[in-house]
Amino acid sequence: MTQRTTSRLPAFLASNRGSLIALLALVLLPFIVGLLDGASPATVFVNGSGISKFIQGLAIEIFILALYALSYDLIFGITGLLSFGHSMFFAVGAYLTGIAIKSFSLSLPATLGFVFLAAIIQALLFGMVLPRVKGITFALVTLGIASVFHIVIMSREVGDYTGADVGLQGMIVPAFISPANERLRFYFVALAILIFVYLLYQRFVTSPTGRVCVAIRENEGRARMLGYNTFYFKLAALTLSSLTAALAGFLHALYQPIVSPNVAGLGFTVTALLVILIGGVGTLQGALVGAIVYRLLDFGLRRYIGESASFINGAIYIVFVLFVPFGIVGTWRMKSLQVKRGWERLAGWVTGKTVRD
Amino acid sequence: MNTFIRKNLTLLITLAVLTALFIAAAQGMEDKDFVITLLRGLSVGSVTFLVASGFSLIFGLLDVLNLAHGTLFMIGAYIGWTVYVRPDTFVDLLTPLALTLSGFALRDVYPLLSPPRLASARMKRILPWALILVSVLLFGVILPRYPIAIWNVENYAQSPVTYAFMTDQGTRLPFPAMTFDKISPILAIVGLLIASLVGTYGLSLFGKDTQHATRWSWKSFIGFALLLIIALIGFLFNNALTQFLANLNSNWLFFIAVVVAVSSGAGLGALMEATLIRPLYSRPIYQLMLTLGLSAIGIEMVRAIWGRPEFVMPKPAFFDGAGEACPATTFADWWANHCSTILLLDGRVRVYNEIFIPLVGIVVLIAVWMLLQRTRLGMVIRAGVQDREMVEALGINVRRVFTMVFSLGVGLAALGGILAAPSMGLSNTMGESLFLNALIALAIGGLTNYPGAALGSVLVGLIQQFIIKYGQIGIPIPFTEIIFKPTPPLVPASTVLLMVIILLILPNGLLGKKE
Repeated sequence: MTQRTTSRLPAFLASNRGSLIALLALVLLPFIVGLLDGASPATVFVNGSGISKFIQGLAIEIFILALYALSYDLIFGITGLLSFGHSMFFAVGAYLTGIAIKSFSLSLPATLGFVFLAAIIQALLFGMVLPRVKGITFALVTLGIASVFHIVIMSREVGDYTGADVGLQGMIVPAFISPANERLRFYFVALAILIFVYLLYQRFVTSPTGRVCVAIRENEGRARMLGYNTFYFKLAALTLSSLTAALAGFLHALYQPIVSPNVAGLGFTVTALLVILIGGVGTLQGALVGAIVYRLLDFGLRRYIGESASFINGAIYIVFVLFVPFGIVGTWRMKSLQVKRGWERLAGWVTGKTVRD
Repeated sequence: MNTFIRKNLTLLITLAVLTALFIAAAQGMEDKDFVITLLRGLSVGSVTFLVASGFSLIFGLLDVLNLAHGTLFMIGAYIGWTVYVRPDTFVDLLTPLALTLSGFALRDVYPLLSPPRLASARMKRILPWALILVSVLLFGVILPRYPIAIWNVENYAQSPVTYAFMTDQGTRLPFPAMTFDKISPILAIVGLLIASLVGTYGLSLFGKDTQHATRWSWKSFIGFALLLIIALIGFLFNNALTQFLANLNSNWLFFIAVVVAVSSGAGLGALMEATLIRPLYSRPIYQLMLTLGLSAIGIEMVRAIWGRPEFVMPKPAFFDGAGEACPATTFADWWANHCSTILLLDGRVRVYNEIFIPLVGIVVLIAVWMLLQRTRLGMVIRAGVQDREMVEALGINVRRVFTMVFSLGVGLAALGGILAAPSMGLSNTMGESLFLNALIALAIGGLTNYPGAALGSVLVGLIQQFIIKYGQIGIPIPFTEIIFKPTPPLVPASTVLLMVIILLILPNGLLGKKE
């Protein structure tokens, strides 16, 4: 018994080496940047300033984008539902948070509760459509629902709450997590949430339910023929995705000074699509990698090229579609498999043993 | 008859409800308002139809959801505007454009040339890239030095906004004179031709193994020769052509603008299909992403070339006259003055927006319908929509039909763009809203159904215009004193709601075939 527990930990460490290193790097990132920036070792654990704070902010944006991309990967990459209304999931979380805190001065846990409730309700709303329409028609209907939502929050009648086309602003974030003064804390909260959701997703995808979701993506008719009521599985994926996106929206509303109505538009759904395309559709790591690459690229282009950054974005999109269709993670996996095979073959050639292919 | 009713009961009930709504809407307003709103609805419906029908043809035959269709609609409008307001730019562009494209016209000839003899496989792999690099470098050196008279987006006095405004006022600004001072003309022309030939030959080497070598005939060179002639004419008679177009009657200039917009739209479509979409036929989701990316690029290019501000396109004189008898009450009055408005039941109707556009819409509807029903190409298209593999098995070159349908669809969108430009004005966002309209229309009517596209477009146009009109006059709610005025955001929201409701009742749209 004791033998097993002792042998388990090193095995776990060895098999998750990459993820653990990445995690360690992310935990240490603010401190390292702080030290490089010239902070003394004593003050580096206090809230940073200057470039350290800026890097933390960029990282928080990446975490939020990664959460959102993960949620889209779950329904599009894993379950195979093409939804063009995904930005609504995010925007509902963001706007509800803003309205609850600003107009009704609710506490954070109560707000989060409301956001989750709304997320479940809208997942059911999308689910209501599920059994009726499939494929491209589902995409159109979700686009329709989301654009009605976009139009509603942009309209002047609800402007007192949503700020119409200017966006929601003037929300007072509770002091203990305020992104201006307690950014380091915000950073770790966002990181913790991202890691929790990522592990949850990994668990979901490898669970029997997740397996059925993958089966639905590959061939829904066959999944149904095997006796699964595919509707419930799709609804489960949709609900989990909606909850995650709403959580991302919640963080976004807390972090950003303005919630722009653009987050409800089709463009933001396309952003999610682009992120998981860069990272690799259907791979959970892909959403994380894609979010990092996309945000840094976007930041760099906007900084050095300016307004026409979306031209470059579109070009990158096309290059990825034509030449890197499996994304960074997907291509990396294939290449590393080939490299591994090559090493094995070389080892076999040296030792004179034949290796299975 | 009974079985027909029983089979289509849901459809008939939906249509009856829509008709009842329409009649109720008609009861609530005066006759003249009703007529104007009806015509406006038909006008919006026609433009929507031009976009929607092309989109649905492409989706039906190729299974490609071309999400760049709205952007192509916009590009059509901007190209037509350029010909109409700045004919000198158009003439200057003729030569370089024709030379750049001339290589593509030879794509049937390249597979017949014997493959280059190279020592190693590596050289073979590098050669196409090297050729393309040479071509890109040549273009990069020559094109910026080629004299093209163009506006200046940064400077307001020379911006498209000013040119459009002055042309609308009836006084064209003088065109800037351009000369070959940075590069010798012969060098520029020969260089462009070589760049084009080298580049397209390099491109053709990629698909070497899959291409079938057929015999060549003089037909393979027609396109090339035509483009060369256009290039030569544009080069030799540059000034004369500019003068001719600038002094031309605005009706003829508008006609030329329409022709150029449609043909360049069609050419753009063919180019898109042949180079970008063809490799992705086996990966439907990726086509979607590709066209989304193209759409973003297209909008950004329009912003870079024509600038962000909105501007107008003057109407041709045929629809823009004013005189004693205007607004005209009889046809003879109108014909004598070409009034911009006429009186219909005491309501003012704008001739171009509310009569000419619906008429063109109807003509295109019938023309494409005839093309689909009465020609061999149409037969192949209809058969391909039903069962593509079977058509291929019958020995028909479906590839070529694909390219034709794609260019037809994009050409229709460009026609919609240039027709809508004088009434809508030109803006970077004109494509998006109209494309959303077209998608909704198709979802309502049935995604791959040609009559369905027409029905859906007209429905969308009518609903939007009636709601806009009721936003002005208000709807009295029965049994109460309240008068409900629909606000502008309700206009797109109402059509979207209608789409969702109809899709929930009839998942394949009103006229879409059942699975």
